[in-house]
Amino acid sequence: MGTAIKWIIALIVIAALAWMVWWSGWLRGTGATSQSAAVPSAASSTVAATPPAPTNGMSADADTSDAALTQDAAAVDAQISAYSVDATNISSSMSDTPVAQSY
Amino acid sequence: MQKTPSKIAALVLVGTLLAPALAFAQTTATASSTPVAVTAKMKTAISHADKEITRRITALNDLDTRAGQMQKVTDAFKQSLKTAVEGQVAGLTALQAKIDADTDAATLKTDVQSVTQSYRIFALVVPQGRIAAAADRIVTITGMMTTLGTKLQTRLAAAQSSGTDVSKLSMALADLGTKLSDASAQAQQSVTISATLVPDQGDKTKMAANTAALKTARADLATAQKDIVAGRKDIATILKGLKVNPSATSTPATTTTTTP
Repeated sequence: MGTAIKWIIALIVIAALAWMVWWSGWLRGTGATSQSAAVPSAASSTVAATPPAPTNGMSADADTSDAALTQDAAAVDAQISAYSVDATNISSSMSDTPVAQSY
Repeated sequence: MQKTPSKIAALVLVGTLLAPALAFAQTTATASSTPVAVTAKMKTAISHADKEITRRITALNDLDTRAGQMQKVTDAFKQSLKTAVEGQVAGLTALQAKIDADTDAATLKTDVQSVTQSYRIFALVVPQGRIAAAADRIVTITGMMTTLGTKLQTRLAAAQSSGTDVSKLSMALADLGTKLSDASAQAQQSVTISATLVPDQGDKTKMAANTAALKTARADLATAQKDIVAGRKDIATILKGLKVNPSATSTPATTTTTTP
């Protein structure tokens, strides 16, 4: 086989390889690839939003254990008891009697 | 589980507190070249006025503290309420100082009449604030019970998957949702009714209407309280059915508010 033909075949093979690499996206937009790679890593490195801490003595929202249910029920009971004070205060304020004035 | 309203719309309450601020009579003391002795009658009047003003300041400060503990209203609303209440306290404090220093009977009489006239504002503002605070707590409680109900729903689903008959417990859970929904609605209604009221300024018809509205608001909250208690019993039923710690199944003793 002539040298020229060998060179032509070599070039065709190289071209084909280059095309395959391009088609696979390995070389295409290397910056973008690194960016898109950075995005997932950035996203994965982002700390997941911390759910707000439970208030009023409640347990964590995701906790359905017996202990959590018991804690939550107790927390509700405390608020119900506190509400009784609120209700009493309403009645007191509505039945308020002023100190009689002299003038 | 139905979601409960997250906020109580009580902005009009702020307007009620801010707009018709206490209008204390500002009279200039009659110039006199000769000091006037404070009579026994004047001393009595000053004493009575001091008692009334001190009483109101105490009630307003208590309301201020309670308002600061509200959880479901915005910080802006709480600050507005706080500012309005503190403004009234400041006005009363200034009036008290003026009365204590009054040596002229006519001036004292005018100042004491200010105390009487301003009572109609106090008699509305404090109940309005108390109703808003109570409604706020109702919504807080319904939110907590909704969260607990969601957990119970999860546990019921797990129990059902394992072959347990949870039909009765599911009915209790459904009833809980209904009760919480009604409690929230009643709380919102109580604020809606009371927040728009304005001082009667001595108008007896308006006074009667305000009193009726406040009583209706209080009745709405009483209904909400009953709903909450009934819902708590549903929770106790479910906890017992799921065989959760028995100590959690007892329902708390409820203080029933009676009109004094």
